[in-house]
Amino acid sequence: MTRRNRKTSILAAVVAAALSVTMAGCSSGSGDSGSSETGADGWSRAYEGTQLNVIGEATANTQILEKQLPDFEKKTGITVNLEQAPYDSLVQKAVLDFTTHKGNYDVLSIPYEYLGAFAEKKYIAPENDFLKGDAKGAGDDFSADDIIPALWEASSKWKDNWYGMPSNSAVMMMFYRKDLFDNADEKVAFKKKYGYDLAPAKTWDQYRDIAEFFNRPKGAEAGGAKLKDALHGVTVAGKRHVATVLEWMNYSWTKGGDLFTDGKPAINSQANVDALTYEKELTKFAPKGFTSATWDETTADLQQGLAAQAITWGDTAGAMEDKSASKVVGKMGYADIPVEKEGDKPEAHLGSWTYSINADSKNEEAGRLFMAWALSTTTQKALAEQGGLPALTSTFTDASLVSSLPYWKQELQSLKEAKSRPRIPQWSGISDAMALALSRALSGQTSPQSALDDAQSKIEDLMSGSLPVTYQ
Amino acid sequence: MLGLVVLFPLAYSIKLSFQSYSPIIPNHTGQWVGMDNYQRILHDGDFHHSLIVTAIFVVVAVSLETVLGVVVGIAIDRLRRMRRFATSALLLPMILTPLVVGLMFNFALNAQFGYLTWVFNTLHVAGGDGVLNGSVGALVALIFIDVWEWFPFVALMVVAGLQTIPKEPLEAASIDGASTRQVYWHITLPLLRPILGIAILFRATEAIREFDKVFVLTGGGPGSATAVNDLYQYRVSFLNWDLSYGAALGLVTFAAVLALSFLMYRSLRRKETAR
Repeated sequence: MTRRNRKTSILAAVVAAALSVTMAGCSSGSGDSGSSETGADGWSRAYEGTQLNVIGEATANTQILEKQLPDFEKKTGITVNLEQAPYDSLVQKAVLDFTTHKGNYDVLSIPYEYLGAFAEKKYIAPENDFLKGDAKGAGDDFSADDIIPALWEASSKWKDNWYGMPSNSAVMMMFYRKDLFDNADEKVAFKKKYGYDLAPAKTWDQYRDIAEFFNRPKGAEAGGAKLKDALHGVTVAGKRHVATVLEWMNYSWTKGGDLFTDGKPAINSQANVDALTYEKELTKFAPKGFTSATWDETTADLQQGLAAQAITWGDTAGAMEDKSASKVVGKMGYADIPVEKEGDKPEAHLGSWTYSINADSKNEEAGRLFMAWALSTTTQKALAEQGGLPALTSTFTDASLVSSLPYWKQELQSLKEAKSRPRIPQWSGISDAMALALSRALSGQTSPQSALDDAQSKIEDLMSGSLPVTYQ
Repeated sequence: MLGLVVLFPLAYSIKLSFQSYSPIIPNHTGQWVGMDNYQRILHDGDFHHSLIVTAIFVVVAVSLETVLGVVVGIAIDRLRRMRRFATSALLLPMILTPLVVGLMFNFALNAQFGYLTWVFNTLHVAGGDGVLNGSVGALVALIFIDVWEWFPFVALMVVAGLQTIPKEPLEAASIDGASTRQVYWHITLPLLRPILGIAILFRATEAIREFDKVFVLTGGGPGSATAVNDLYQYRVSFLNWDLSYGAALGLVTFAAVLALSFLMYRSLRRKETAR
């Protein structure tokens, strides 16, 4: 950091000197460096007074970031108008702004599966010089080296260019009810029934057994207490929705499947059919109404203590430990997603988002500063403390956070095992076809094989002219 | 000016439907593809399925709304003191935004916490999985919600219609000894026919474009059980980003609705002149 800072302050001093000749007495800056353009904390004030329009997904991370905005304004003098929208709506707003070339949004937080689409259409601008160069104007509490490398690459790098910095580091993992798993009576009963010790599932067979074991009606006992509501073995997202697709991909990957093999659609491969058949089998132990559940409903199920385990998003762990909304505070355990055979390489679905700068923006310099500020240690720590998910190694290894947040170590662990879905422009069509196929199979309207056969032919049509996929 | 506002989007859609344009997919840059998009409609199983779902939804929902609307409308017309109150109560479901209606029922029909689910379970109807999670249940639920929301419209049209029909034939019939039921069946209803026709026309063209409730409650699922036409077009245009194919689908739907309204309007006119 020192080298960059020295460079920055030299540069700032030169700029300041030049400016002082032309507009002597007009500056309002302060700080040790004596520069009128850089504050004491190293943040450039060159764009003071700029109004920046930013859009982000309506999630905890964005809500918390909004509360931190006065800090950015204090440091840089740039005011930010932060708009929040749900996933589909955000993408639609972004595309509308891009295609009309209005440049209404300067900085957009976008889901990484759209990175390829937006980059290929040149809607967003490559930022190699800033991101991989000197990060000009960013303050002392920003260091690009601190961003988790694999996460950064997956979320923001397309072909040879870097487009932004991760705005969300959501990754899927296994949640389980630690309090029930630790109960001595449950352990004895489980061993008697299945012949092995009750512990967080390492394999899919164990996961199924545990789901069956803890699936209990209202009034039965669990962990030594009488159940006021039925307890379910698992909770599963099964609505015709992207949430269902993303969850299923974990089953598929760990069972040896994938959407593409050798660059060609392999939707109806045996491994994929097996994965879907397995998931369908699991839903016997899922709460009623799983076919209309997305990540919202599964999160609520877990928070309400209605399910013993789930494959779900790490960024909902904060909600589990939220005393005002959760009945399972301190009772939840977090672990790797199970694999097919013990010893297999764990894989976790990455759901990252990235900040990116609109190619039509007229405030790109201020936009860059905003990204750097959002990824600065100060902002990221505040994010973590309030239940959001950072993207910095230092925040994930911060001793006070590790000891106070039960899910903290697992988040970093899962991020290391993270795998990306195809980030190709056709993703949204693929996801839509998969959502239909999975929902049809899970709700019993058709068999896993025929549902995936159908998706295979749809996705082949969708990809015609763009095969094989050589970069994703 | 008005012509421009109406015609420009239409002309743009027509142009788009002969191209291949997507704001997302690299090789769809707006090149001309002739009738390709229209030919695709002929072989598109998902679209055909959505037409069937839409047809069931429209026919069942509008029929129920008409019958219920006539019965309630006549009942209100017979009221004396409560009439004003009943009329305003009827307005309530109609003035709610369709999206709000969807959210309201999403809450009520939640498979685990919904109060309607609790009622259904207590009465042992609709199984234990929540109505929205069965293929038939989900469509039936959507139809019932539409009826709940829109039969008042038909009822209010009937109330208004009853005020305008001449009293003489009714009095003459009563003097000739016709029973109340006979009067309603043979005289009132035929006199109401034009206004009912318009109510049905309004409701049918609206129901064909059903979107909000389905979007909120089922997303077209489970599977494709409630994938109505408008939702399918939304998916094509804004999830698959195939704007050209979406435009072609939209134009075909537009033409179908136009033809349907024309036919209904003409049959209405013919009956009126025949009388």
